[in-house]
Amino acid sequence: MQSPDAIVIGAGIVGASSALSLTNAGLKVLVIDRGAVSSGTTGAGEGNILVSDKDPGPELTLALRSRDLWFEMQDDVGDSFELEAKGGVVVARHDDGPLLKLAAEQSQHGVTTQKLNQSSLHELEPYLHPDFHSGVFYPQDAQCQPMLAAAQVIRTVIARGGAFISQAKVTRIVVENGAVAGIETSKGVFRAPIIINATGTWAGELAQMAGSHLPIAPRKGFILVTEPTKKYVFHKVYDSDYVTNVASSDADLQTSTVVEGTRSGTILIGASRERIGFDGSMNYEILRRLAAQATSLFPVLRDVQLLRAYRGFRPYAPDHLPVIGEDSKVRGLWHSAGHEGAGIGLAPGSAALITDAILGRESFMDGSPFSPHRFATVSL
Amino acid sequence: MIIVIGAGPAGLAAAEAASRNGSEVALIDSASRLGGQYWRHRSTVTGYRSNRADLLFAKVKSAASITYISEATVWSIERDGELIRVNYLQGGSESSLTAEKLILATGAYDRSLPFPGWDQPGSMTPGAAQALLKGHGILAGQSVVVAGTGPFLLPVATGLAQAGAKVVGLYEAHSPLRWLLSPQALLLNVSKFAELIYYAGLIRKYRMAPRFGRVVSRFDKGQVTITSVNSSFALKRKRALTFEVDVVAVGWGFSPDLTLGGIVGCKERVDVDGTTIFEVDGDQLSSQKNVWIAGEATGIGGADLSLLEGEIAGLSASSQKISSILRFARFRKQVFADALKCSYPVKDGWRSWAEKSTTICRCEEVSLGEIEESVAELGAEDSRTAKLFTRAGMGLCQGRICSRNVSEIVAGLTKCSVTDEERIASSNRPIAAPIALGLLGDGKK
Repeated sequence: MQSPDAIVIGAGIVGASSALSLTNAGLKVLVIDRGAVSSGTTGAGEGNILVSDKDPGPELTLALRSRDLWFEMQDDVGDSFELEAKGGVVVARHDDGPLLKLAAEQSQHGVTTQKLNQSSLHELEPYLHPDFHSGVFYPQDAQCQPMLAAAQVIRTVIARGGAFISQAKVTRIVVENGAVAGIETSKGVFRAPIIINATGTWAGELAQMAGSHLPIAPRKGFILVTEPTKKYVFHKVYDSDYVTNVASSDADLQTSTVVEGTRSGTILIGASRERIGFDGSMNYEILRRLAAQATSLFPVLRDVQLLRAYRGFRPYAPDHLPVIGEDSKVRGLWHSAGHEGAGIGLAPGSAALITDAILGRESFMDGSPFSPHRFATVSL
Repeated sequence: MIIVIGAGPAGLAAAEAASRNGSEVALIDSASRLGGQYWRHRSTVTGYRSNRADLLFAKVKSAASITYISEATVWSIERDGELIRVNYLQGGSESSLTAEKLILATGAYDRSLPFPGWDQPGSMTPGAAQALLKGHGILAGQSVVVAGTGPFLLPVATGLAQAGAKVVGLYEAHSPLRWLLSPQALLLNVSKFAELIYYAGLIRKYRMAPRFGRVVSRFDKGQVTITSVNSSFALKRKRALTFEVDVVAVGWGFSPDLTLGGIVGCKERVDVDGTTIFEVDGDQLSSQKNVWIAGEATGIGGADLSLLEGEIAGLSASSQKISSILRFARFRKQVFADALKCSYPVKDGWRSWAEKSTTICRCEEVSLGEIEESVAELGAEDSRTAKLFTRAGMGLCQGRICSRNVSEIVAGLTKCSVTDEERIASSNRPIAAPIALGLLGDGKK
């Protein structure tokens, strides 16, 4: 592609939706990836588009808008990527006080919540363990097939005049007079005044190439996939410990279980998190804990066979907020990374924020809490 | 203690050799009887030189230091400091066994290539036809076509004929003249001529007429189509023959079962024929400390080679001396194994046999058309992305059957060759066998 207006590095869902949003704003966009489309964190995700697990604050505002943008993106792209507002059911394992308090706060910030008692809870999830007697229903929680989504979005970008080059590893970011001028890759040199770093777990490395700094680290997660079964789980179901885990900066392993059924009939069990760098090895103790938690929620799953397990790496920043905005040192270098386990859900919202900022137009929210500048002072 | 996983020729030889100096051995196998796929679990095995099996069975059964654990399916292996813990399922419950040393002899399974109808009832692999016959005494059909490539077609075809089936066709895709490429292998393995003469006698006795340069190109409701192929397996459509048959048994060599070694982290490499195998040293030791691998998982080579590799692995794991005679015997069989790879390669032309509607992944029912679309429309570039888009390889067999075929189909469509990294990555299966979530959770610390 001759002289693109912007280069997006990373063909996961964050990069793909950024590329689409910039393309729709009239820019000529080139997307580059070190592998194929969806080959990083996007390809190892469950496709969660959640508002239920966010505390009131900037991330929740972003999540709510992003969730609606998912449905707009589906209308725009025209292709199905299995987007479905299946709804989330959060149950209280012990004391339901913290869950109900959070739900009350969330509902004041635009989240639709519905308190569930013993009978309404078991009406929504008839196979749930009878001991659970209280929960909250979040009808806005949604689900998509993220790999398909990224691919369909990139396909649309190409159809609208953009381009995608795969298997191109960035070897250098060209910075001239404090501003980006282009990139050198294993598949050639490309020049553009705007570069979007949407490289997920590699975002820190990329920032370093430009002489900047971004404290993004990988956090390992596992997902268990069962054999196809009768429909036992109707929503995204998790216990409320999950909400506290997301905001934790404790490096020890924490597990909490999100259980859900998929269209293909399999059941996905996920949401363990562990901060140990890029070690790909399988930890069977985590699988056992996930299985124990899932079967304590749904005893009927005891006889369901586990078929596969896969692991992925989530990119996260020390304060667990995504990094969205222009680099603190290098002009024209924009970051959209560090979305941790929420990248699928937050992708189109992040794309809208970054596009608005690049074009200098007003956005749906103040993006400053996500600014990379927040790490500028700790960089040395 | 030494744990040996797999009670086929390699595992039996390993257990027997290790027990010679009294080393404690636990031999774990998923079947109910000794013998593995090759010596199909019958107390008295029939076939060429089957007395070797009986001899080994007797030795293993009588050795005081060997504990034989049958009908046990290993689903995972963990490291616990210096120890290796093998987790297995047996009779509806989960157990573990811990040892300092591990010998993997997990063998191989038939390789299938997709052609229209390969997934229909009546179409099976030669290994499956043989398993029905030897394992259960069931004849797969009254009339049978045996086809594909490689010497394994001979014991299957003759075995079926001896059991009373009418083998109406025996089709080898390659020309036997390819053996002229490897004269050294024949000179070093003169005994193989005796084996060939044994099978030639049976072929004549049962009036089979082996044909070369032909493949099963279609199977539809009992109608089989045989088509000539050129040396790269492209079909010569004008030269096709269709007739009725109960069963087609079609096999394209073997794929090693890499699952358990992959879990332990043993280094893999791609063999000359594109098969992913484990790298081992002269003592069959893998890249992982105290883990030996013997048999087909270190390169497809047949039972003779597996027996020798197993013996060497067993001796090495129990710190016994390995004689140079034994090492030379293994060398001779390795030369022969290399000649087999050279004589019966699977050529790329097979990719043109399937039609758009032909199933490629049977577990998830993914067709060639869907894979083509994932490449052309969605940007799939390897088996992993094709899998993410189409679900090919996500089913019960976890891609054991189709992932290599998917890789090669995608490579053909993108006009690339499959990288070694991709071939190695697609053998990564952390859950070696399905386990009920209840059992899994109950094992929590």
